[in-house]
Amino acid sequence: MKSGKARMTHGTDRVRSTSDTARLAGLLNRVGRNRDGDAFRALFDHFAPRVRSFLINRRVAPAQADDMTQDVMLAIWRRASSYDPGKASAATWIYTIARNVHIDHYRKTMRALKVDENDPQFQPPEHPLPDDLYERSEASDSVAGAMAELPEDQKEVLRLAFTEGLSHSEIADRLSVPLGTVKSRVRLAMNKLRQGLGEWK
Amino acid sequence: MTQRGHVLDDTWYLDYATGALGTEAQNVMIASHVELSEEARARVDALEAFGGGFLETADAEPGVLPFDADDILRKDAAESAAAPQSGAPASIGIDDDLPLPEALRDYLGRTGTPVRWGFLGPGLRKAILWTGEHGEQLWLLRARPGVAIPHHGHRGSELTLVLKGSFWDGDQQYMPGDVEEAYEGVEHDIRIDEGGECVCLALTEGKLRFDSPLLRAFQVFTGM
Repeated sequence: MKSGKARMTHGTDRVRSTSDTARLAGLLNRVGRNRDGDAFRALFDHFAPRVRSFLINRRVAPAQADDMTQDVMLAIWRRASSYDPGKASAATWIYTIARNVHIDHYRKTMRALKVDENDPQFQPPEHPLPDDLYERSEASDSVAGAMAELPEDQKEVLRLAFTEGLSHSEIADRLSVPLGTVKSRVRLAMNKLRQGLGEWK
Repeated sequence: MTQRGHVLDDTWYLDYATGALGTEAQNVMIASHVELSEEARARVDALEAFGGGFLETADAEPGVLPFDADDILRKDAAESAAAPQSGAPASIGIDDDLPLPEALRDYLGRTGTPVRWGFLGPGLRKAILWTGEHGEQLWLLRARPGVAIPHHGHRGSELTLVLKGSFWDGDQQYMPGDVEEAYEGVEHDIRIDEGGECVCLALTEGKLRFDSPLLRAFQVFTGM
């Protein structure tokens, strides 16, 4: 059972906005093992606004993005015990939850509306994010390191894939490059990161 | 390196990791493969780590959300009180010796899809799990040891994931977790390993196309 006492205590363990991979993993681990309400509040402060921005970037309407962020945070609280700090960062684990919540909502909406997914109103708007997106991260972990070292063309493919949620063929269309070019950029970026993660372990 | 791999083209893993796969059936197929193949898991792990990296760099405007952490904790408490324990997921009547990955079991349970085996050919049984708008099918294949699936080509692509046992296509052996990706125009000869029964999950975009007129006629009757 949850500890009501832990939930009444405030602000002892809040993280600052600078990312701190080990600290966030520790907080998530505490939520999973001890149902620690303070650790959850600190995680909420760090991740809830980011999850909402992530959904907004994927063209989710603000009111829906609020609802979905609530679902993501609730899922974090409930499923934290399945988090393994040795396997992934807290951000990566939370990313997969946000992605799955987004997919579920999307499929439900599509089924309910019976809309044509290729309708232009569901296509992404042309609004590239600032180039300094990567530099804004102060994370010193291997992922941020690998991302920062990637050539521009590989970063661009990953940015369209992860922030806008485009498929590899949509990325090829958007960049006006052959599918094979998208494939090779994905492979190079992925291998770079695997190498980095290997060294880190 | 041979032309045919036992893992997929990386764009499958990318689209899975970003949530951009076109259908739920594709998602179930890739999730099942990732569950069973270490190499596929490693690739998806690396890609999902980029997802984590992008989430970390997303804007963190404070104070936009109309709720806080305590609202989440209260919502959890209220919902837990209303529905104490959901217990084990509803049984979907799958025989216990059928080795289905969690992702597939979840899908069958969630959608209430039964596994009904039908005759496909001598020593071959097929259970259709889902049919898409454009004739795509997600299905299970159950084959007796040593059965041969004669020379055939494809209209559209086909992914075949081994769940149990193994099969050979030419000199390539496919074991549990391996996926064979066949494209339109690729011809292949499949032989189930002598060692035991083989169960595969397949996702087909178009019907199989046999060279032999006799088998083409046979196809009409079986719906293969």
